Formats: sequence, structure tokens, C-alpha cells
Amino acid sequence: MRLFSTYNRVLLITSVIGLLIIGYLFYNTLSNYLNKQIDNYLVEELLELKDYARNKANYPAHVVFEDLVIEYHKISKQHVKRHFGDTVFFNPKKGFKESGRYLEEDLALGGQNYNVKIIASKIAHVDQAQSIFLVIILPVLGLLIIILLVNRYMMKRIWLPFRQILVNLKSFNLNHGGNFEKVDTSIVEFKELNDAIVDISQRVKSDYKEIKLFTENASHEMMTPIAVINSKLDMMLQSTNLSEEESKNLIDLYSATAKLTKLNQSLLLLVKIDNNLLKDKEEVNLKKLIEEKLAYFQEFIQQKNINIQLNLIDKHLLMSRYLADILLDNLIGNAIRHNRVDGLINIELSATKLIISNTSEADALDPSVAFERFYKSPSSEGMGLGLAIVKQTAELHQFKIVYSHEHNLHSFCLIF
Amino acid sequence: MKILVIEDEVLLRINIIDYLKAEGNVCDFASTFSTASEKIAIYDYDCILLDLTLPDGDGLKLLKELKKLEKTDGVIIITARNSIDQRIEGLSLGADDYLSKPFHLSELSARIMAVVRRRSFKGNDVVTFNELTIDIQSKVVKVKDQTLTLTRKEFDLLVYFVANKAKVISKSAAVTHIWGDHADMADSFDFIYTHIKNLRKKLVDAGCKDYFHSVYGVGYKFAD
Repeated sequence: MRLFSTYNRVLLITSVIGLLIIGYLFYNTLSNYLNKQIDNYLVEELLELKDYARNKANYPAHVVFEDLVIEYHKISKQHVKRHFGDTVFFNPKKGFKESGRYLEEDLALGGQNYNVKIIASKIAHVDQAQSIFLVIILPVLGLLIIILLVNRYMMKRIWLPFRQILVNLKSFNLNHGGNFEKVDTSIVEFKELNDAIVDISQRVKSDYKEIKLFTENASHEMMTPIAVINSKLDMMLQSTNLSEEESKNLIDLYSATAKLTKLNQSLLLLVKIDNNLLKDKEEVNLKKLIEEKLAYFQEFIQQKNINIQLNLIDKHLLMSRYLADILLDNLIGNAIRHNRVDGLINIELSATKLIISNTSEADALDPSVAFERFYKSPSSEGMGLGLAIVKQTAELHQFKIVYSHEHNLHSFCLIF
Repeated sequence: MKILVIEDEVLLRINIIDYLKAEGNVCDFASTFSTASEKIAIYDYDCILLDLTLPDGDGLKLLKELKKLEKTDGVIIITARNSIDQRIEGLSLGADDYLSKPFHLSELSARIMAVVRRRSFKGNDVVTFNELTIDIQSKVVKVKDQTLTLTRKEFDLLVYFVANKAKVISKSAAVTHIWGDHADMADSFDFIYTHIKNLRKKLVDAGCKDYFHSVYGVGYKFAD
């Protein structure tokens, strides 16, 4: 849940509960106060009634003032003491029932016991109470709504720099260079956050740069010793009296040096892609390039008797020619290398994507790690850098590369 | 041929010089920028092998000096820094070729031959070996007067072997020559075998002597 919603929810619930309690208490107090007023009036009325009875020496008949009803009932014995209560009574003047307040007491009037009940209408008082209640509660309610709205606006405004910091942080990418962009804000907390992120991003950047520089230098420095080994091997090969065993050793040494060279070149290439050092962007005719690659690999295709199915349209891409070359080398090379005898390679090039799928005896790759550096399937003899290079190349050109395994076909889909 | 090897790594330099000398070339060397600069000013070479990272200077500057001196020596850059920018800069400064380390000596030798041929024969680029005549430009191979039909790879292999005649070329070097850096196919060695077998057959069928000698599965030698 958003910070704003959480905050608002708490505020809203508290306000509503508070308002209900206050309203209830206020209304009750007000009603009690008004009831008391009526009660006083009723007592006065009763005293008047007693006076009247004493002076006239007989009890008055049913007196009906406006909104005041007095009932007499003859009784034999006094037992009801004075008490007040709420009731609903029929107002003969108005001709309908309404709510009222009564005072009931047993009295002796002219030697006769009576149960006297004086009922006064509450209507006027209820109206009064409601008006007072509304006059007080409505502005409070209005104030609450205004506070909520102001809050909403302020929260959005105050947190604006924070959102901007988030956006900048998300767009910050080590590989694509560029600094974390500072956000202008006058709020101290956000300033601190901003400064901390700027500081961290710069440190991370410089560390990252150093690591890459190290990889690059290490790989470069290794090239010269490998060159020495290679040339020594070439010299040894010229020796006229090579024994068979020495020859075998030479073969192994050649293949180990070749692997080392390849590993070094791959690492260097990855560093170069990371650093975006390959800037030879041009219009690459993908269809033509694919056809060239198939010609280049033709012996390998023929040897495994692989059936190639092509469905290519003319497609030009703006990308590094060098990397396009390596990308196709790796994808098509893999499709051949991991294929089975009498297998199939299907290459589909459309305006939006390139799909290369092949049959293989190997099981499906794990898509979550297939493109990681030094990951390789158990059957692979490579170093596990080929697909990492493919992925880096794709990312550099803002393409997407997806692996899937369906109907016994391993598919790599490059989405432009 | 007279070749200047500008390389600060002693072991590599010695190997290069030994290999090239065995082919009958005259080799001179320089291990620093200053000696190299002196030598190119005084002598003329058929080909200069230039390492770009020298202890006391940038090899690319030597290219500028050569240009200033209006020398026509062929130049092959050999460097551990395999960068496209540098390659383009080097070639635009007048280098004839660019070879990144590590390389096979046979590859280097073939490149030197190609550079020297291009420089000296200009358009009339024909290599002969006994009864064999190879026209590099038009890609025509003749045994005596009979023209052979070779595939591109067979042709490249033949030129490569002739450039390294009497030398053993490892299969590894041959594979790299034909398929480049990206050919790490496990069975690529078999194809070299197949290509050479086919090439041999075509040559012998045309009445050429079989000059290919297999060396214990490590490589082949093209020799009398």
C-alpha cells in the first residue's frame, strides 16, 4: 500500500470515529439540557395546578393549553411519586401524535386522590436541538474534508522530489554510463537521501569501472605470453625429428592455447560491449549476413546432414557490424554444434524478430541462467561465454533475446 | 626479403625472427620506439612488423614518421590490443595489415608474403612453385597449363601452404586461417583434413607432384 493511502486511511478512520463519538456526546448533552428545561416548566405547571386547586377548592377540568396536556385520573390511594419521562401523546390541538415529556404525580385535590400527568410537546425543543447540532457538526465535517483534501495535495507535492529520485534511480544503469541525476528539493530529508544516492552511485561507478579496466588489462597482458607460447609451439613443430608422442603433446598444447586465446578474446569482447566501445554502427543486411554465415558453416552443416529451413525477409538493422557478425556466429554456430545428425535448423527472419531453432539431443536449458557468464549445459564443450555475449550484444542494441524449448526444438528469439 | 621486427617482448621477437630467417629472409629488430625510429630512417625494408605498445612510445607514431619520410615499406601491425578503432586508425595511417596477438607464425609469414607481393607486383600477383602457378588476384591455379577448379577454401589453403613452403603448419593454424577467430567447432580439424585431401587429389589428378606431407596428425608440410 502506498504511503499516502496508509496515512489517509488512518487519518480517515480516526476522524470518523472521533466525529461519531463527539456527535453522540454533544447531542446527548444537548437533549438532556433541553429535557431539563422542559421538566422545570412542567414542575412550574404542576405548582400552578396545585395553587389553582387550592384556591378554587376543586380540581380544574381538563385544561388544554397549546402543546400542554393535563390528564387526571381518580385513584383510591396515592402511590406514584413525582417522576419525569419521555412519551408519545396525542395533541388534540394539532390533531396528531407527537413526542413529549411528561410529569406524573399522585395528588390529593379537594380531598380526592388523583393521578396527574402533565405532558408538554418536545417538538420545538427537538427542532432547536437539531439546529444547534447541525450548526456545530456541519462546519466540523466540512473542515475535516478540507483537511483531507489539503493533505492529499500536500502529500503529492511534498513527495514529488522523492518520486523523481525514484525515477532517476530506476533509470540509472551502470552499463549505459550516465550519472545519477540529482533532484532539486528544499526538503532536508530528501536532500540527504539524494546526496547519499549520488555518493553511492559514484562509488559504485568507479568500482565498476576499475573492475572492467582490470579485466581488460589482465586480458590484454595475457595475450603477449599466449603469443609467445603459440610461436614456441610453431617453432617446435618445425623440428625435423618429432616423435609421435611429442606430436600428440603438441596437439594438446595447441588446443589448450587455442582455448585460452578464445577465453581471453571473449572476456575482452564482453568488456568492450559493456563499455560500449564498439561504435562501428551501420546498416546491416541481416538476411545477407545469415546467408553468408550458412555458407561459412557449410561443411559443419553437411557433415551432420542438417536440414536447413529458411524463411527470411529483407531486414536491415542499425547495429555494430562486428557484433552482428559475432551474434550470428554464436547463435548459428550453437544451432549446428549442439544439433544431432540428420537434425533440423529453422531460421525465421521477420520485420520484428529473428528466430533460430534447432533440434538437439540435449535437454532444455534453464532459461533463467542460460545467458549467464560461464553457464554451460553438461553436454557443451564451450566455455559458456557465447550466449552471454549474445545477451550483452542484444541489450546494447536494445533488443530482447528469449530462449524457449518447444516440440523438441531449442529456440532463440531475438526481438528487435 | 628484408624484414624489421619491432617488438619489445624478447621471446616472441626471437621466435618470429627464427621462423622468418628459416624461410630465407633477412631480419633486423628493434625493441624500443627510438631504435625503431632510427632504423626506419636509415634502412629500407620490404616489410616492417610493428608492435603498437612499445615501452617508450606509441607505435602508431612510427607510421606517421614513415609517411613523412615517404617510405614505401610494407607494414603489418601486431598488437595485443585487438580494437577496431586502432585497426582502422592503423590502416588509415598506411599500415597494410593488422594481426592481433596471439597469432600463428605461419599466419604471420603468409601475411608478410601477401603484403610484399601486393607492394612489389601491383596487380600482377602470381606465385609459382615448381609446376604450380597461382594467380592470387584472379584466383586461378594452374598445373603446367591445366587450370584447376578449387573451392574458395581450398584456394586459400593452397596459397597459405605455398606461402609457408617447407614449414610444418599446424591444423590449429590452418583452421584459424580458414574460419577465423570464431571457428571453435570441435570437429573443425576434420574439415581441414577433408579439404586437404580434396585439394591433394585435385592437384595430383592434374599431374602435379604431391607436395603435401602429413606430420603425425599435428599438421601438414608443403614441400618438395
